Amino acid sequence: MRIRPAHLAVALLTSSVLISVAGPAQAKGGDDVVRRGSCTGATHWKLKVKPDDGRLEVEAEVDSNRVGQTWGWRLVHNGSTSASGTATTTAPSGSFEVRRRMVNLAGTDTITLRASNARTGERCVGTVRF
Amino acid sequence: MRRQLANPVVQFLAAGFVVLVVVVVGTVQLSRQAADREAIKDARSTTALLGRSVAQPAVPRGLVDGDAGAVDRFDRTALRRLLVGDVKRIKIWNGAGRIVYSDKTRLIGSHYPLGDDELDVLHKGATDAELSDLAKPENRFERALGGDLLEVYTRIWSPEGDPLLFEVYYSAADIAHRRSEVYDEFQPITLGGLLVLVALTTPLLWALTRRLDRSARDRERLLLAAADASESERRRIARDLHDGVVQDLAGTSFALSATARDPGTDARTAERLAPMSRSLRSSLRSLRSLLVEIYPPDLGVDGLAAALEDLVAPAASAGVAARVEVYDVQEASQDSVRLVWRVAQEAVRNALRHADASRLSVQVGTAGGLLTLDVTDDGRGFAARPDSRPDSRRDSLPDTGGIGLRALRDLVKEAGGRLQVRSAPDSGTTVHLEVPL
Repeated sequence: MRIRPAHLAVALLTSSVLISVAGPAQAKGGDDVVRRGSCTGATHWKLKVKPDDGRLEVEAEVDSNRVGQTWGWRLVHNGSTSASGTATTTAPSGSFEVRRRMVNLAGTDTITLRASNARTGERCVGTVRF
Repeated sequence: MRRQLANPVVQFLAAGFVVLVVVVVGTVQLSRQAADREAIKDARSTTALLGRSVAQPAVPRGLVDGDAGAVDRFDRTALRRLLVGDVKRIKIWNGAGRIVYSDKTRLIGSHYPLGDDELDVLHKGATDAELSDLAKPENRFERALGGDLLEVYTRIWSPEGDPLLFEVYYSAADIAHRRSEVYDEFQPITLGGLLVLVALTTPLLWALTRRLDRSARDRERLLLAAADASESERRRIARDLHDGVVQDLAGTSFALSATARDPGTDARTAERLAPMSRSLRSSLRSLRSLLVEIYPPDLGVDGLAAALEDLVAPAASAGVAARVEVYDVQEASQDSVRLVWRVAQEAVRNALRHADASRLSVQVGTAGGLLTLDVTDDGRGFAARPDSRPDSRRDSLPDTGGIGLRALRDLVKEAGGRLQVRSAPDSGTTVHLEVPL
């Protein structure tokens, strides 16, 4: 299938709008921070950060509603990759979840989830500032 | 109490107790030092092992520069394997004095200047240890750990090839625990050995002491028996002389005197008998003095004055004016009187033989519950020895004839009394005795 340039431009614009809708959440205290957003396709993401004794418990979820999809994912901490890997969406929800512990550094911690489906080309980006 | 302290068994037990205390204190001190060294050595070994085998392989690229992702990865992969056993805290420093990682995350990114020792380890390697200075700001979070901490640091390398200082903190309580472990190992050997030694030797010493006591008592009994035998023999000789020879001489002396005064005796014969009678009386006095020396006829209170008079009787023939004074001795015991007699006998003998005196005084009296004797002469006295007291007067016993007085001093001491001899050149001599009544 050929993709017309106009269609590609619309798609990119739409994805950037979707990503920007899920803008970064910010908090520095004792409360959990949860941020949700949509990916470039029909998939949704959720990023949850919870403080725990000098560390941050980070939970990232990607829900495509389709079982068996393989996604590459990356958790970025202050611009540096803290953890990465691949995951497959599972039943019944057709989603996968990643939990990692990060160090709660001095100042604001910026945590970003990046996920991409190589097969569909769909991408997810979500950020939490804590 | 004093008698108990003089007991060799008590002395041995007391000495054993002192040795035990010294050994316990010494053992505690030595084991403490040994345990401290052992604990520090263990901590250094543990630190080197953790650094080399756990921390260094887990250090990711970027940690040396404080990269957040690298910090996360190191925290997730290595921390659980580092905080083991006695380890209370971990810090990793880069060469610029920045804490690039710590299990206390608030320290990460902080910057503190490294000390000379730390820089030395960072540049030269090896491992060093010291007590943590909790007043330092970089150690402020360690205060909450409670008590003293031992910090041990060694060098590790980052994947980029930069040296890092790997620092581990141990609780001093763990060192104390290690110390008690070492001490507990030594304690049964040292204390137990000593206690067994004391337990084994005490009965042996007790038996030996009893044997020695028995021997001493036997010897004393023999000496007393010998003294009694000697006294009996002297008494017998004195009695025989007194009842035989003395009475015969006295009778002969009276007969000569009576014959010399008899009007029927011609003047020439009477004149020849007079010096014979005087010579006989003089011999009789000498014989009585000898008898008194051999065995005083009556050493009771009532006979003391007469015995002392007999004692100084030879003074007249030596040209010495002797005087005997005895006052208030009615309450004195037989033993005290005997002692006074024996000391007076020795002192008078010394005075007549060595003092070259013209006057001799023997005074016996009582004062403050004591029976006192003073034998004083105006003879040449004697000088103090060079190694004696600095003043010329001395309070010791004379060289000549002093052995007898020295022996008497022991007797006086046993009787609870005191014997002093005061003398100086050309100032005469005084022998002073005090014994309880």
